[in-house]
Amino acid sequence: MNGGKSAQDRLQARAPEMELIREAQAGSRSAFDALVRQYEHQVLRLALHLTGSEHDAEDIYQEAFLKAYRYIGNFRFECSFYTWIYRIVTNLCLDQLRRRKTRREDHAVVLDHSGDEIDLLASVSDDRSFSNPAKELDRKVLGAYIQAALGKLTPRERMVFELKHYQGLRLRTIGEMLNTTEETAKNTLFRATKKLRTQLAELR
Amino acid sequence: MNCELAHERIVTAAYGELPDEQMHELERHMTGCPDCALEREQLRALKILADAHPVMEPPANLVARSRLRLEEALDALPPKRWYERLTQRMVNNFASVQAAPVAACLLLVVGAGAGILGGYEFAQSRAAHAATLARSAAVAQPTPPAAEIASISSIVRQPNSEIVDVSYNQVVPQHMQGSLDDPKIRELLMLASENSASPLVRDDSVGLLAAECRAGHGCQAAGIRDALMVVLRYDKNAGVRQKALEGLEPYVAVDQRVRDAVLEALLNDSDPRIRTEAVNVLQPVEADTSVRQVLHTVANSDQNPHIRTVSREVLSRVPEIQ
Repeated sequence: MNGGKSAQDRLQARAPEMELIREAQAGSRSAFDALVRQYEHQVLRLALHLTGSEHDAEDIYQEAFLKAYRYIGNFRFECSFYTWIYRIVTNLCLDQLRRRKTRREDHAVVLDHSGDEIDLLASVSDDRSFSNPAKELDRKVLGAYIQAALGKLTPRERMVFELKHYQGLRLRTIGEMLNTTEETAKNTLFRATKKLRTQLAELR
Repeated sequence: MNCELAHERIVTAAYGELPDEQMHELERHMTGCPDCALEREQLRALKILADAHPVMEPPANLVARSRLRLEEALDALPPKRWYERLTQRMVNNFASVQAAPVAACLLLVVGAGAGILGGYEFAQSRAAHAATLARSAAVAQPTPPAAEIASISSIVRQPNSEIVDVSYNQVVPQHMQGSLDDPKIRELLMLASENSASPLVRDDSVGLLAAECRAGHGCQAAGIRDALMVVLRYDKNAGVRQKALEGLEPYVAVDQRVRDAVLEALLNDSDPRIRTEAVNVLQPVEADTSVRQVLHTVANSDQNPHIRTVSREVLSRVPEIQ
């Protein structure tokens, strides 16, 4: 009964969004702008966390919403608009991660917001402890090291880990976004965590 | 359960997506498997470590910059042509139908079935009530729209039949146009001055009647004048009473009943404006001492000092008032 009610609530909550989508499909620019406002923070949050670069995040934002504008007529309400727009964003992020992978293979380097590179391995001290990292390492440096470890995953593993661990999505939704099955998403997550553990075990 | 499967399930469990029954199985396995217990500890540590690279809110500058750039790009795009939108819509519709052929067929079958069933039920119902309808038709009168029925006064069912006698009162809005001298119009105006629930309508009707009286257009004692006196005595609205008083003013000297009505107003009206006006309209009437008495009474006892003063002035200024 609760499930029915919450499904109804969700449907009611989505009703104004459906109207906006229909208006945008009919060519309303203001309706599309309203949809952009609704999702832009989530899009930037994901892109920024995945790429670690404001510049790349801005490019992904731009391309994602331009694509959405161009193809919004193809949206047929078979999934939520959230899933649809995330699918576009994750594909663009995957492309970006793949390009970066070929450009800087195995480099423990990340960019800060100003675009400057941080050499992680140079900034991490030698007496590290895996058991209680918060006490032994500066949180910012540790964060950068984690980012470097994430950078060593394949783009797909990185994406699944991002969507599961950081964005908290269900494996089924992740499968939908990446055009694959829940089972495949689960296996990819397993591989990602295994690789990350190996990477971070070096910190011991 | 072997350790390889357990390791996979540890990950799924850590992210809250392992079904309960598999969770119990995993717990049982781990109680006797230190390697898998260690695996779970390591995964917990990984999750804690991973949180050292938290998801941050995008800076406001980045949001504003991205938005501006997008708006510029969207502005530069040529607007979609009508035929492009039409084509898109047709493609979507076609895709929807293509995506759900079974549903479309089912819908067709259900629709046809409902139509046939509905038609059958309707035909049966018609046949069952045909005789009754025929009898009813013989005695039935055309029923007016519900909005025109003011009330139902009685309902009587004829014994052993489905015939019912309903008596109702009907209100039909009507409209009439005519001269102010038209007796029918005047009758309606007088009716409105006494009965209308709306003060605005009463004000309009009394205003017109009073103007007729002041102009001396057929302001007979038994007609309009009576109506204005009733208004002066009983209308709840002071503005309406004041208009009635103005209409009666020319007749104070010649009509005893009008004078009495004005004197009553001077003594009893709750509104000081009406009482003041009443003082002013009273004309010297040689034979009528009641006017003087009332003015004396008012000059001595009216609660309004202005009215007392005015009454005294009138009494002193007009010695001919008896």
